[in-house]
Formats: sequence, C-alpha cells, structure tokens
Amino acid sequence: MRKKIIASIMAMTLCFSLAACGSNNVSADLSDSASLDEATTSESTESDSEGESEVAKIQEAGTLVVGITDFEPMDYKDDEGNWIGFDADMANAFAKSLGVEAQFVEIEWDNKALELESGSIDCVWNGMTLTDEVKSAMDCSNAYCNNAQVVIVPKDKADDYQTVESVKELNFAVEVGSAGASEAEANGLNYTEVNSQANALMEVAAGTSDAAIIDSLMAAAMVGEGTSYADLTYTVGLNSEEYGVGFRKGSDLVSALNDFFKASYDDGTMLKTAETYGVQAALIEQ
Amino acid sequence: MNILEVEHIGKSFEHTEVLKDICFSMEESQVLSIIGSSGSGKTTLLRCLNFLEHADSGVIKVAGNVVFDANDKEYLKESVVRKNRLHFGMVFQSFNLFPQYTALQNVMLAKQLQAEKLPDFKARKKEIFAEIEEEAKGYLSQMGLSERMDNYPHQLSGGQCQRVAIARALAMKPDILCFDEPTSALDPELTGEVLRVIKELAEQKMTMIIVTHEMAFARDVSDKVIFMDDGYVLEYGTPDEVFNNPKEDRTKQFLGRFIEG
Amino acid sequence: MDIFMEQLPIVVHSLNVGFLQTLKLFFVTLIGALPLGLLICFGSKSKITPIRIILKLFIWIIRGTPLMIQLLIIYYFPGLVLHNPIWGGGEVGRFVASAVAFIINYACYFSEIFRGGIISIPVGQDEAGKVLGMTRSQIFFKIKLLQMIKRILPPMSNEILTLVKDTSLARIIALQEVIWAGQAFMKGSQGISGAIWPLFFTAIYYLICNGLLTLLLGGLEKKLEYFR
Repeated sequence: MRKKIIASIMAMTLCFSLAACGSNNVSADLSDSASLDEATTSESTESDSEGESEVAKIQEAGTLVVGITDFEPMDYKDDEGNWIGFDADMANAFAKSLGVEAQFVEIEWDNKALELESGSIDCVWNGMTLTDEVKSAMDCSNAYCNNAQVVIVPKDKADDYQTVESVKELNFAVEVGSAGASEAEANGLNYTEVNSQANALMEVAAGTSDAAIIDSLMAAAMVGEGTSYADLTYTVGLNSEEYGVGFRKGSDLVSALNDFFKASYDDGTMLKTAETYGVQAALIEQ
Repeated sequence: MNILEVEHIGKSFEHTEVLKDICFSMEESQVLSIIGSSGSGKTTLLRCLNFLEHADSGVIKVAGNVVFDANDKEYLKESVVRKNRLHFGMVFQSFNLFPQYTALQNVMLAKQLQAEKLPDFKARKKEIFAEIEEEAKGYLSQMGLSERMDNYPHQLSGGQCQRVAIARALAMKPDILCFDEPTSALDPELTGEVLRVIKELAEQKMTMIIVTHEMAFARDVSDKVIFMDDGYVLEYGTPDEVFNNPKEDRTKQFLGRFIEG
Repeated sequence: MDIFMEQLPIVVHSLNVGFLQTLKLFFVTLIGALPLGLLICFGSKSKITPIRIILKLFIWIIRGTPLMIQLLIIYYFPGLVLHNPIWGGGEVGRFVASAVAFIINYACYFSEIFRGGIISIPVGQDEAGKVLGMTRSQIFFKIKLLQMIKRILPPMSNEILTLVKDTSLARIIALQEVIWAGQAFMKGSQGISGAIWPLFFTAIYYLICNGLLTLLLGGLEKKLEYFR
C-alpha cells in the first residue's frame, strides 16, 4: 500500500516538473533576446536533426492553421463571415501555393508564442511587429510591411504634444509586450502596461492614462470620427517598425514563405493585394 | 421450540467490552423486555440482533437456523446480512421515518422495492402494488392512523410518528419485532398511545423484544425479563422473578432507585 | 445615437453568437461536473486508502490553483510537453479543452458540497433503510438523495451562478464567448471599430441568464419545502 502511495506521489511530481520544464523553455525563448542568434541556430539544428519538414507535415494534414486576431485591414471578416484582409489574402495564396487550405483561428494575442509552440497553430500572420521578443520566440519571415507606432492623446490637447520631447511628462498606457511598449521603454517614458491596444485606448478615453502608443494602422481604424474614440487623435510618430510572419523554431516554412513573397512581389500580385486594402504605401520590397 | 437463541454474544468498541457472553432464548409469541441503566449494553444487544453492529463472538439462531456466527465470515457478507436481518423488525427511539414520504409511502417503500425482484413483477406490477397498498393501509388502521396516511412525518406528532414506524416494521412481517426505547423521545402524554399499541400487538401474539425504561409496562406486558448491567445479563426470568425476587444486589439497587425516582 | 442604432443589430447578433458559446460551456460543464462530482465525493470517502489520498490531493490541487492556469495547462500542455497537440487549433478543440478544464474544476467543488450534504443526513436514515432490507444503492437513491439535494441546493445555487460568470475565463485559450465577442468591437470587427459599449453590454446577458437561473433554482427550493 505504502509503495503505491509513494509511486503516485512520484508520478505527480514528475508531471509538475515536466510542466515546469515546458514553461521554462517558453519563458527563456521570450526573454532571451540577447542570445537570439545562438538560440535560433541551436534550436534549428535540433529540429533538423529530428528530420521533420513542416512543409511536408502541413501538406499531409492538408491545412495551414493561421493564428490571427480580428484586425482590420490585415485580418477581418467580410459579410459572409470569410476572413479577408491583406494578411488573410496573402495567407490564402501562400497556402494554395503549397497545395493546402488555410484555416484561420482567432487566438489570444498574449499567448501567440504558446499557441505556436504547442502546435495548435502553424503560424502567426496578423500584422505582427518584428520586435526582439517576437524574433526570439519564433522564426520569422522577411519583413513585408512598414508600420509606425503613434502617440494617442485627447483631441483638445493634441496641439501641445506634437514632439517626442513634449510627451515625456505624460503617463502612457501601452499593450503589454507590444512594439509600443518597446518604444515607451526606449524613449524613457512613464508607462503602464495593459492587456491590449484597445484597452490602452480605453485608458486614455477614461482619463486613467494621459496618452497611449499603438500601431499606426490600428490608430487609423480605431480613433477619430465614427468611433467610440471620437475625442482622441494621434500625433507624434515614434520609430518605424516592420511586420513579419512567425513560425515555429526551425520550420522550413520560413524559407518557403520568403520564396513565395519574392515571387508574388516580382509578379505584382502582392502589390495588387495591398492596393485592395489600402496598405500599398507600407509595402516593403522583397 | 425456541424462535430465538442467542449464544455467547460478545462485543467490544475500541477497548471497551460492551457485551460479555450474552446467552438467552425465547419462544414464539413471547414478549421479552430488556431493562437496565444507560450504558449497560441493552441497545447494543438489540443492534447486534439487527446486524447494525456485528458481534465479535457468539452465535444467533432463528427457529433453529444459524443466522449469525462470529467465526464464519460468510455471515458478514452484505447480501447474507440483508436476507437474515429480515427475520427481525426494528423500531427506533427516534422513529427514523423518511421525511420525504407520506406515512403510507413510508410503510410501502421497502415492500415495493422487494417486489421489484419478483420474477413476475413486470407482468403483475399493478396487482402487486395494489396488494402492498392494501396491506400497508391495514397496518396503519391497526395503529389507529387511517386518517393520517397521507400526512408527511413533520405533520405528525411524535406518538403518531412512532406508530407509523411500528406499522412500517410490521409490514415486513418479521419473525421478531424489536423496540429500542420506543417511548424515550416522546412527551409523557404521548407515551401512552404507543405503549397501548405495543400491548395490543402482544395480545395478538407478536414475538417482541423491547428495550425500555418503562418498568410498570415491562412488568405488565412481558413473559420474560432480562436485567443487564455492565454488559452482563444479571437477571433472566419471569417478571415476577426479576421484579419481586431479584437474585443480585445490583438489581435491587436499580429497581429500588426506580421505585423511589 | 444614430450610429448606435446602426451598430446595435450587428453587435447584438455577434453577442448572441458569443453567448451561445457561453451557454454551451455552462450546460456541458453542469452535465459533466454533477455526476463526476458525485463520483469524486464517493471516492474521497472510499475505504481504500490510496484512492482516498489521491482524490484528496487532487481536490486540493484543483481547488488550490486558479481555473485560468488549469485552462492554460490543459490546452497547451499536450502540445508543449508531449509534442502532441491533441486538441487541435480549431474552435471545437478549444471548446472541448475548456469543457474538460471546467468539468474537472467544478466537479471538485461540487464533490465537497455533496460530501457536506451526505454528512448532514442523520445515520438513522441509513439504519432505517438497512433494517427494512434495502440495498446500499436503494438507500442512497430512494432515501438519501432527495434529502441531500434539499440540503445542498442553497450552496449549489451559489456555485451555479458563479459558473455562469466563470465561463468568461475560457477566453484565455481563445474560446470566443460573449466577452470576447464584445471586446472584438473595441479593436474593430465587422465594420465597427473603437466601440467600447458592447463590452459593457455583455453584462446584460449575464444578468438575464442569472436572473432566470435564480428563479428556477428558487422554484426548485420551494418545491422541496413539502418535507423537512
């Protein structure tokens, strides 16, 4: 009887330690941006040695599972409930080039690395800014779009805050782990982290923060006339960022997508898709 | 022939011996009263007969057949216990009626569940249930409760509840009906109605074992009386022998206190 | 106001879809956790010591950790550690994983409520059943169960109302329940962007649902008042 008890306790301890290992790996991936290159290479050789081709795996499954959020104009639903947008259209085209179908899955943005790592999605393709954090957590494609981070303030105070110097006294709300948060850090601003860009805007609207930093593409869609944030506007543009697509470490889908980007940029289809959604000005040459 | 034989029953809880080498027997249609002070072991003895406790030693026979033998594990099996305990009916001090059922349903429930095991149950369900209901109503009328059959226990007085409990025990047609201090939880003015019912049962020649503190009643209704003290049977005889000519000083002391009190 | 009237039908439709998911998770959890809770309750009273110890330990872990963490572990653990994402990435997989987490979590809470209910029934009921020759299952189902239900109904109602609200935790693994649906309009969805009010509007759904449940459970309590 006692043996059984000990055995069961040991089994449980093992479960816990496994869980701990698993989460350690992820957090190491997220925080260890300095040794990015090393990590990437070591991880990729590890995966290569297992000899698993993600392209082959996906072709066998017949679907490419694309992790997204509802984010106009990159990924959003048309009237019939189909996912469209610059990213969605490109993802569909890429999947087609591999001979599979794209399946779009809405994810909790905070958990994008977890989703990838656990295998519930195959890529993150959602206007994702290529921060050091993102690049250390996943293998990313070449950048395909430019994006700036902008400062959001109440409209009536906009005139006072047109330069980086002038906003230094404000209290900012930024999305945790976002490019906006990196900018706030880099510029030495006072900031509070909230769990989405939308929440950051709500902070400013509610007056609990003076200003917010969000993506310019998002700012265009979310503030100003016709939104709940008619009293907000955007002023200073901070450093420019680039969008890319994230894959699991060591995935051969990265090079497949880079080749696809190159081909569709060269034949003009990428530009045409960008024009459909009004993002052609931000497109990066492949 | 003896309906019940109890041979060398012993029982301990933890390290306390509660029953010590209990032996007695009784004939059919007799009434046996067990008296004694609290903690003398009389309730435990009754619970051993109903298998609510299992004796550590000894043998119990009903009509010559062994229904319990402490040396044979077979008699501890749930199915065997369930079958053998039906020789005995039990009326508790605190009635233990089922609160969610009416008086009538309380009396019928166990019989109905038993009937489900009959081979021809499905075919004759209506008929069988009608018979059970008829019988149950008969027992309740006998207890003077024909007006109260559809009342729930909380709508009845203590005396009425105890009479429902007696009807419920009778419905199982036990060979021996056991009472565990049937009037101790009742207000004094309600004890009379319950004692009267038990007396009527005695007149109808029901075999009964009654654990009681009602000395006058025990003397009046019993064929045999047992006086228990500290787990032993100190006196075992006719009411006249036990009440008027007790052998032991301890018995005199106990009875004396009762008469004074 | 005009904009609001334009947005209202779109938002309400989207919230309805989200709330359907909320209700689905609620009912599936209830249907799964009630019997599982009863099993765990019996197990934690078992005569076999290892079963009892393991179940006590299990109840301690489940009640001692946040449901949100349990959701994350159940959904991501198979893929992260065992390299076998059994749930898949689709909506169905996320729902099933959520349901598993909720059923396990709530079964543990229910089991403790059941245990309290069983303990509170006097032993006399058990003994009366026994001396009438009833089997253990007959005693439980015909005698004790209804008395137990009557006693546990108030704490149970509490737990059930909490469950309705707790379902919102499943959005941590991207189950698109009603709050997710409401929040989507803050960022932009179906042509409405930067709208805060749908998020707060979801509260009305919970209020109506819990109002109906309160009436239902109150009615049930009244129904059981016929005995004491």
